[in-house]
Amino acid sequence: MPGQTPDSAVTDPARPRHSPLALGVRAILRKRSSRIALAVLGVIVVIAVLAPLLAPYDPSAQPDIVSGKDLAPSLAHPFGTDPYSRDVLSRVIYGARLSLTIGILATLVSLTFGVAYGAVSGYLGGFTDAIMMRFLDALLSIPRLLLLLGVLVAWPHLSIGALIVFLGLTGWFGLSRIVRGQVLALKHAEFVTAAEALGASRRRILVRHLLPNLVSPIAVAATLGIAHVIVLEAGLSFLGIGVPQPIASWGNIIYDGADQIARLWWMSLFPGLFMVITVMTLNVLGESLRDVYQRR
Amino acid sequence: MLGYFARRLGQAAVIVAIVAAIAFLLIHLAPGDPFTGILDNPNVAEKVRTTLRAQYGLDRPLPEQFVRYVNALAHGELGWSLSHDQPVSEVLASALPNTLLLMSVALVGSFVLGILVALIQVARRGTFTDHALSGITLFFFSMPDFWLGILALLAFTYWLPIFPVGGAVDPVMHEFLGLGGRIMDRLRHLALPTITLILLASASVARFQRAALLDVLPADYIRTARLKGLTERQVLARHALRNALLPIITLVGLSFPALLTGAFFIEKIFAWPGMGYAVVNAIGSRDYPLVVGGVIIGSIMVTVGSLLADLLYAWADPRLRGH
Repeated sequence: MPGQTPDSAVTDPARPRHSPLALGVRAILRKRSSRIALAVLGVIVVIAVLAPLLAPYDPSAQPDIVSGKDLAPSLAHPFGTDPYSRDVLSRVIYGARLSLTIGILATLVSLTFGVAYGAVSGYLGGFTDAIMMRFLDALLSIPRLLLLLGVLVAWPHLSIGALIVFLGLTGWFGLSRIVRGQVLALKHAEFVTAAEALGASRRRILVRHLLPNLVSPIAVAATLGIAHVIVLEAGLSFLGIGVPQPIASWGNIIYDGADQIARLWWMSLFPGLFMVITVMTLNVLGESLRDVYQRR
Repeated sequence: MLGYFARRLGQAAVIVAIVAAIAFLLIHLAPGDPFTGILDNPNVAEKVRTTLRAQYGLDRPLPEQFVRYVNALAHGELGWSLSHDQPVSEVLASALPNTLLLMSVALVGSFVLGILVALIQVARRGTFTDHALSGITLFFFSMPDFWLGILALLAFTYWLPIFPVGGAVDPVMHEFLGLGGRIMDRLRHLALPTITLILLASASVARFQRAALLDVLPADYIRTARLKGLTERQVLARHALRNALLPIITLVGLSFPALLTGAFFIEKIFAWPGMGYAVVNAIGSRDYPLVVGGVIIGSIMVTVGSLLADLLYAWADPRLRGH
């Protein structure tokens, strides 16, 4: 690759001059593809934050249910209107807000569980570790969507908050296995032995000495995890058991047009495009992070 | 080798047992029971409610219910589907062949396409072709299954009516066709759902395989092959690909959850009469036993799939054969 200079922190692990965070930011800024991804994601985040200012109409207003419904895209309604005469562009803009929020919050739940479970399992080791890992194997062999189907059919009509919790609770299995591996590898490192010799408690060793070494896999898992949750939420909403109607989420908008796909093509095309672009940027960023952390 | 097989088989059995326990927990942690929707209203007599619940054993203590549940499961019974008025096992058994057909064609197709794309990319690494293909695979990799399904349906059944709208066969004409006509009819219905699923699944194969090939290229035997004068094509196809194929077996095992999830959405969109179609429709009719049955069977499929992949790996890697 042209213009790539050797990075002292990358090539010389004996002198780690940069924090993982600084390293991650530089990794993203160094590659053109991830710079573009960051910029595009930035635009989508701004759209989400400024939704009330940017949306031309109220996303849930049904101004004219008789002659204003099912309108094809036009200047007045660039993304058309839905069967309830709501403006699809406004709903897509508000949908960005909801999808990103759900993605971020659910991923926070996943990270908390994944790190805690993996760190405890790896640090305790032995029989406890074996039991915890077998349980994890079982959880990993249930496809996430199926697990969520089971849960969401058992608890119908969930609020968004509960949906976020369940999305988060089904997303930590992979990360906790990575965290466990890292903790297992670092458990007998000299700096841990030193901390033990100084009389540090297990809790302190885990939180102060081991966790900071896990920043890299966590950052990667978080970025890719948000993308995953956005797709899952849309899929569940498309099946009618995700975000409760009539709240605008990207999946709900597609669901509203799904039984007339051929006639109301704009209802699946536009929210889907926004979703794919968002997920693409997150995947690019996640991979740039993974590349630099793995090289180290 | 035999010891490894036995150990791995035991592991899979433990996993299935835990999955069953989780499914049981799911059912009983949920508010109400499968009859809550139908029975718990003032128009139903108290006696009917208690009788029906007693018939289904819902009045027994939880541990007893769990033992009965495990026992039934071991006999292949998954409960009673309320919307089909049929045992869940029968509903799923009649739908399973269609799902397996869809998944196996998609599995083979996606690995062939994915490996091919990766080979082209690595042969022209760093060029425009490589970057363009990377962009395309990233696009399909990031695409929600159901959205590509909708787009494919929109484009190739409505705008360009090349393929039939849905189902496994033509609902009216199939009965009256000859043998050749029936086969053609089935293929025409199979085409669009499988192409969609192949496109979705091949993206991750291509991305994975490209990285695996690039990992292999710096190896000594590749340099040897180049030095003895083989063309780049020969080096890639004979020496690099063969060694980069081992991780592909692992990827096959790992791809089952995504493939199954994809099949669920694709079946729903193309009205393909498989397991996903049955389970997704059961959501609408609140047919809880059928949904949970689908979760259990789906998890067993994934477990068996990764078990087979592991065994295949142990058999294919000569370094593991001795152990």
